[in-house]
Amino acid sequence: MSDHSYLPAWREQSLGRRLFLRVSAASAASVALVAAGCSSSTPEPVAPDPFQLTLPSGDPGLLYYAYLLAIAQATTYQKVVDAPPTDLTPAERAIFADLRDHEIVYREMLKYAIDPTGANALLPTDFAFKLTSFTLTTRAGVLAAAQQLEDLVAAAYPALLQLVTSSNPQQRTLLLKMSTVHARHAATVHDLLVPGSFANNDIVESTGTLAGQLRTKTPTEVLAALAPFFAPFVISAANLATPI
Amino acid sequence: MKLISLLDHLAAAPADQSAAPRRAVLRQVGSAALAALPLGLGASLPAAADTKDTSYDAVTQLLLLERLQRALYTRALAAPGLIPLTQLADFQRLRLHQDQHVAFLTEALQAAGAIVPTEPAFDFSGRRGVVTNPVLFPNVLSNFDDFLALAQQLEDLGVRLYKTQAFNITNDSQLLKAVLRIHAVEAQHSAHVRSLRRGRGVAVKNWPSDTDAAIVRPAAAQVLTTAATGGEENPIQNLKAGMPIPFANFLLIRDNTAVRDSALSEAFDEPLTTTVAQAALNLFV
Repeated sequence: MSDHSYLPAWREQSLGRRLFLRVSAASAASVALVAAGCSSSTPEPVAPDPFQLTLPSGDPGLLYYAYLLAIAQATTYQKVVDAPPTDLTPAERAIFADLRDHEIVYREMLKYAIDPTGANALLPTDFAFKLTSFTLTTRAGVLAAAQQLEDLVAAAYPALLQLVTSSNPQQRTLLLKMSTVHARHAATVHDLLVPGSFANNDIVESTGTLAGQLRTKTPTEVLAALAPFFAPFVISAANLATPI
Repeated sequence: MKLISLLDHLAAAPADQSAAPRRAVLRQVGSAALAALPLGLGASLPAAADTKDTSYDAVTQLLLLERLQRALYTRALAAPGLIPLTQLADFQRLRLHQDQHVAFLTEALQAAGAIVPTEPAFDFSGRRGVVTNPVLFPNVLSNFDDFLALAQQLEDLGVRLYKTQAFNITNDSQLLKAVLRIHAVEAQHSAHVRSLRRGRGVAVKNWPSDTDAAIVRPAAAQVLTTAATGGEENPIQNLKAGMPIPFANFLLIRDNTAVRDSALSEAFDEPLTTTVAQAALNLFV
């Protein structure tokens, strides 16, 4: 609990600013603790989950969502660049250096978009994308991890773009510009793992009226897939609209 | 002139509206255009006339692009010995996707009761069907490297044109959804063609980069290069109108957030103007 140094910053926001993950559960915990100290007659508080992070609604929530995706990818590729497997070829290392750079640009830019002042912590200090379930010590493991992440993020963006409002056209266009670079990443990593496996039927609809279109995933689906990596934190997209 | 052309292109409405959910959408666009006509006939009209910003114009321009790509892959697959056996499946997949995109866009127009333009007789030499015109794209159907270079430029053009047109589709969430998904598939195509070229010794990344070797074209074909990658070197992105993002303030060696100079522009695929796109497409019709 004491790790949550973001709470004071959050409290400083006077207007319910759009910046922060809603930390009502954690706030409720703090309040409950104070109340418990004051009086034993306080109604039994519902056990709040300090690890529950709920994305804000609307465009701010979507920016946060994109920020989390960039954190996932940047963390992974930074590790690959820092400690590349010995069997990863020089050409492949150059590609991963690019992937790392792109994702750093996204992560830092989205952080700026969420909080231009840079004065606030956007996430709990102990929040991290955990790499333990990846095998980043072999080429095969690195490519498998990258493919899993890139397919997920490529599938996330068209659904995200459908939900972004036109209230800030530049911001929406920026996300649109990023979406195809993610699609390029996905195809690139596919082709490294299995040449010619770009845009195959696993990632592109093959039948019906959507044939030839990318298979997409909703924020809830994407966050469910990433849940083991963000544990113990649980990220909820309940406030985001559902793509139709 | 776009307002009139839109109205002209709306075919007489069949009696049965129930089976055509998109019909209302394009009709709505038509009505809006009609309502705007008196103002539109003012001084600003000529400037706007070549700007394709209706759903109808967006879909027809995308259809032309998809038909062009489909024709390129169809003819390449039919050209003896052009595509190595190991890559045949790749280009069959590309052709299949373009065919599916053509079918989808055609159906969208038909469902809207709009006229589907006739498919032009594409000429990939750049002579536009006139034998005395100079060849702008030599050997694209006989030399694999020349074919790949053209395929890359058309795929990049496709990514950018979908990007430009996506948010011009304002009245039909299902159509927008499809366009956003196809947009991503085009990017995967481009990345793959770029991989193939790199495998054949060309200095090119899977995403447009300052470090890519230029594809040299005659001056008369330069508009294709402009349409495919012109402006991709743009290092300036705006989060709000007229407010560039101060990347230099937060991409820092100190914080291990520094990136190579070229990475910044690589990270963003740029749109293009519909005018430039049309000029490039017109090289082949």
